[in-house]
Amino acid sequence: MSSIKQIPVITERKGNPLARVFDEFVRFCRSRSLFILHYCTGCGAIELPPAMTSRFDMERLGIQPMVSPRQADILLITGYVSIKTLKRVILTYEQMGSPKYVIGICSCTVNGGMYWQSYATAKKLDEYMPVDLYIAGCMPRPEAVLAGLQKLMDRIHSGEANSWEDYFRNYDYYLGNQQKLFGENWQTPTDIITEAKHYDLIDEGTFGKHTQLLEQHQKPLEALDMRLGHDLKEPTE
Amino acid sequence: MAPMELIIELLLMPLVAFVVGMMMVLMMRRIAAKLQRRIGPPFFQPLYDIVKLHSKQTQISHGLIHDIGIVMAMGGYIAAETLLPVPGMTGIAEKGGIITLLYLMMIPSLGLALGVGQCANPNGSIGIARALTAMLAYDIPLVIVIFGVAYAAGTTNLVDIIAVQQAGGFETWGAVQMPVLAIAGLIAMHASLGKQPFEIYIAPAEIATGPMVEMSGKYLGGLFVMQCFQLYTTSVLYVSLFLGGGTTWFDFLLKSFLVLAIPVSIAYLFPRYRTEDLLRLMWKWPVMLGLIGVAFVL
Amino acid sequence: MTLTLLDELLLFSGVTVLVAMLLGRRLPAGWMVTILYGIQLLALMKMAPLGYGGEPISSALTFEVMGQTLSWRFDALSWYFALITLGSALLSSWYACGEWEQRFRQSGGNLWLFHLAMTLNVFSMLILLASGDLLSLFIGWELVSWAGFLLMAMAGGVATKAAMRYITYAMAGAMAIFGGIALVYVSAGSLQYEAILTAASQMSTAHLWMLVILFGAGFGIKMGLMPFHLWQAPAYAETPGPGSAFLGAISSRMGLFAILLVLVKLFGIVNIDSLKIPFTLIDARDLLAWIAVFTIIFPTFTAMKQNDARQLLAWHGIGQGGYMLLGLVVADAMGAAGGLLHVFNHATYQAALFMAVTAVIHRTGTADLNKLGGLVVRMPLTFMVLLVGIIGLAGLPPMNGFVSKWLVYRSLLNEGMPLLFVAAVIGTLGTILSVYKLIHNIFLGQLRIEHDNVKEAPWSMMIPMLILAAIIFITGLLPGIPLAWVASVQQAVGLPVSDYTLGGVESASGSLDMIWVIGVLFAGFGIGALIFYFAGGRSKRVHQLDNYAGGHFLTADVRYQYSDNFYAGLMHLIGGWYRGSFLWLEQSVKSLVEFLSLGMQGLYRRANAEFYLLSTALFVIAWVVI
Repeated sequence: MSSIKQIPVITERKGNPLARVFDEFVRFCRSRSLFILHYCTGCGAIELPPAMTSRFDMERLGIQPMVSPRQADILLITGYVSIKTLKRVILTYEQMGSPKYVIGICSCTVNGGMYWQSYATAKKLDEYMPVDLYIAGCMPRPEAVLAGLQKLMDRIHSGEANSWEDYFRNYDYYLGNQQKLFGENWQTPTDIITEAKHYDLIDEGTFGKHTQLLEQHQKPLEALDMRLGHDLKEPTE
Repeated sequence: MAPMELIIELLLMPLVAFVVGMMMVLMMRRIAAKLQRRIGPPFFQPLYDIVKLHSKQTQISHGLIHDIGIVMAMGGYIAAETLLPVPGMTGIAEKGGIITLLYLMMIPSLGLALGVGQCANPNGSIGIARALTAMLAYDIPLVIVIFGVAYAAGTTNLVDIIAVQQAGGFETWGAVQMPVLAIAGLIAMHASLGKQPFEIYIAPAEIATGPMVEMSGKYLGGLFVMQCFQLYTTSVLYVSLFLGGGTTWFDFLLKSFLVLAIPVSIAYLFPRYRTEDLLRLMWKWPVMLGLIGVAFVL
Repeated sequence: MTLTLLDELLLFSGVTVLVAMLLGRRLPAGWMVTILYGIQLLALMKMAPLGYGGEPISSALTFEVMGQTLSWRFDALSWYFALITLGSALLSSWYACGEWEQRFRQSGGNLWLFHLAMTLNVFSMLILLASGDLLSLFIGWELVSWAGFLLMAMAGGVATKAAMRYITYAMAGAMAIFGGIALVYVSAGSLQYEAILTAASQMSTAHLWMLVILFGAGFGIKMGLMPFHLWQAPAYAETPGPGSAFLGAISSRMGLFAILLVLVKLFGIVNIDSLKIPFTLIDARDLLAWIAVFTIIFPTFTAMKQNDARQLLAWHGIGQGGYMLLGLVVADAMGAAGGLLHVFNHATYQAALFMAVTAVIHRTGTADLNKLGGLVVRMPLTFMVLLVGIIGLAGLPPMNGFVSKWLVYRSLLNEGMPLLFVAAVIGTLGTILSVYKLIHNIFLGQLRIEHDNVKEAPWSMMIPMLILAAIIFITGLLPGIPLAWVASVQQAVGLPVSDYTLGGVESASGSLDMIWVIGVLFAGFGIGALIFYFAGGRSKRVHQLDNYAGGHFLTADVRYQYSDNFYAGLMHLIGGWYRGSFLWLEQSVKSLVEFLSLGMQGLYRRANAEFYLLSTALFVIAWVVI
């Protein structure tokens, strides 16, 4: 689904030229500072060290590796995604802060590659989360990785790389695909629906029969709010 | 001093610290890149990172203390900068002195410790436990050094300590008068920066960057700002104690950057110590040197 | 006979004891006693000129016993300590009223005994503080010891055991003090302070040494100084909550009061300075300073290993006593001020900390640091009080503990004592480590499922805690308030007085102005908050299980928390240094005594009456003949 059906419309703030300059500046900074979380699922991971170290040096583009999903901007999936792994990939993706981007490296993420016939491998990554960029190849060389990253940087700068919103706006679609794979009881500790509500990212596709199914069995995951609790009833002893 | 002037100073000192601190972060990353035969990040990279992190659209918080922790981490350093005299500006340095500064410099890390604690992530808690252990390790030589310098100068007032060193030119610099203490101070300063081989509490491959594990968006951005302040404060403190502060901005900044370049250049040549090895190292060599240095001073 | 202000105070205190004893079985006893403490505090306030250099007030009551005049009087020193005593008694008693009382009664505690023990403690402490000569000092000392025993022992079980240990130590200490008093009597011919003052300047070195050792050991036991510290932590930790807040705040400081009175005021720190230890470079004063420093370091690092919140705090109580003694032993204007100020500061934060921990116990039923966590969202006010308290305990700005420790550090720096300085800082760093463990394991980290419905502590407990927190902050912001009292204490015991201002201390070699420091600190926080809240986007609060675990799905039934062996890396290195040598020493003394008594017992049991008669007769004959 992703954003193919939607024609990307770049909404610029009208009127205040300072705000436009500011937005431009922020987009530029976003494109020049990318923290990668590489989820090394497969053989593609081996191409990343040369891309980072002295031969190709990602850091000159402002790209550096990070450790936890909270800190990262880019989720880099480097190879085939087994169904077990996919659960973790989805959790990791949901834990990242937006704007966030997903890059699928290697053919396996595009269509399952040589694992096409495997029962235990998710074939197309973009059925489960919006993917910004595929770098095909088995495996792509660091030059290709860097070229892909530069392409992503351009898209971020121009404001086109906003597929992360798609995950909120079409959550029902992604959740449906996830439920198809993991069963009806599928639930991550993250709560996308309240997040979409919190950030006002709700669209027609956010809710649907899949989210209904989720809400039926979802264990409550509201944040633990600070409270004095003096109005609570005395617990029975 | 006119109150208006003072207020401007109080605002200007943290601002200068932040800008210089960003350049120090850049220098650190460039040095790392050069040592690894890379090109390194562009000039404005620290700025890009901070702006990007603050412009994140969604980020998570684990509660009020998590937020307050970041505020304290930044605010504590902003306050500490006003106690650190720079050429032409003394702020409120005369009202606190070096012991107060030393303690104010602990506030950010402890605020951060609170914030990390509420993240309910054991990686973060382990990181804080290690960071506090590291503090126990490097603060002992550091206070020995500070004792020596303050005792030699006969005051805990940083402005006076700098004035004493500037009185006779190069010869009255702390580093010339008390070279042993200066070496001990350099080692302690290196450890206090938390860079390799002393980065036990970040340890990305071990505890997933420890305190930073649950920090997203502006939370991480706050920590990046804090790092700028940290580099600035540490190196300027060393310059004020041993290298005669600065008479002009040029030599002040030159000294600060040069001082910082020493530990940073060493850092990227080493892997990481274990916690107990860090303690053992810190409690042995710099403490020994520091005590010898103090014995000379007394 | 007209009643002086002091008589009024002691009278009110005595009435409080009577009220607690006679009416204590009725429910509002707690409130009555609390109000009476308030009245005592008012009576003390009428003597407030004492705190600002006023003339000593003596009691109308005097006795004549075997040619010795027993008298009582209040000077600045007594007033300062009495203020702390009554303040902490008032707040702990207030804290005990209401819900805590009910729970205590329900769980089988003897409330009457508790209030009686508290009032007795306060009364005996006031009598001790008012003592006007060495004999009345000794009487007050004994009263305080036994009153303390009553409060410590009342919980039964482990508490009684700890209290027995305490009273053994206390009696040994009392013997030492009694010996000291006897020696003083022999040389001075009188137990009046004036006579001793003149006699002290002419005493021989050996004599003075003996007195310093006897009095130092006797009073040091109450303070928990280094070799005699073992009794304190278990005894205080096992006392019922508000009682431990009171004991932790002030009880041990009676030892410091006596040391001030006898060693500093009567013998004079200069005289003590002249006592050299042969063949070494140190004198008696250095010895005291090093004892103080070891009292700081060892208990602090023992505290770090505790897994029970009350034990941890009680061990810190011992350690902080070291700072007070250290400051006093340095005995310059700043050091003495720091040491004395620390008495006040310590009382405020230690009481607040014990209360906060008791509130946690009240709500969750445990103080085990491995069985708590994440309570900040359920007990935010208690968290705040504990936070304020630990900042004070660790001696960091902006709380009051910082000022007193700063003064002690400055004095060590001025006097050029690097090793003591470093040792004092090590103590502070150790404190920071262990208090972080305390707050982290109780309030931060993951909230356990069973604590999901925990409520904030009731207001009857909350208000005294909040008052204490406010005092901790205000005296940190304006240390000039207590420093004024401290200055008159210094004058009263003949120590140099520091040049204090409302915001701190003025000195040519670096001054401190807390108003500026705290103002700038909060301005910094304000700017930080502006940047944080306005320069970044909105954030969303998430559940604690939405957490990084390397992609693992966290569930509520599996704990995701780090609490046990908190400083694992540190313990790798120093874990082997905890040898329990003092415990071993105590045990060996104990078994020696046991062995001797066993021998005596054997002799006594084996022999029959004829043997005793025969041997006595033989002795008598031999004595007569020879």
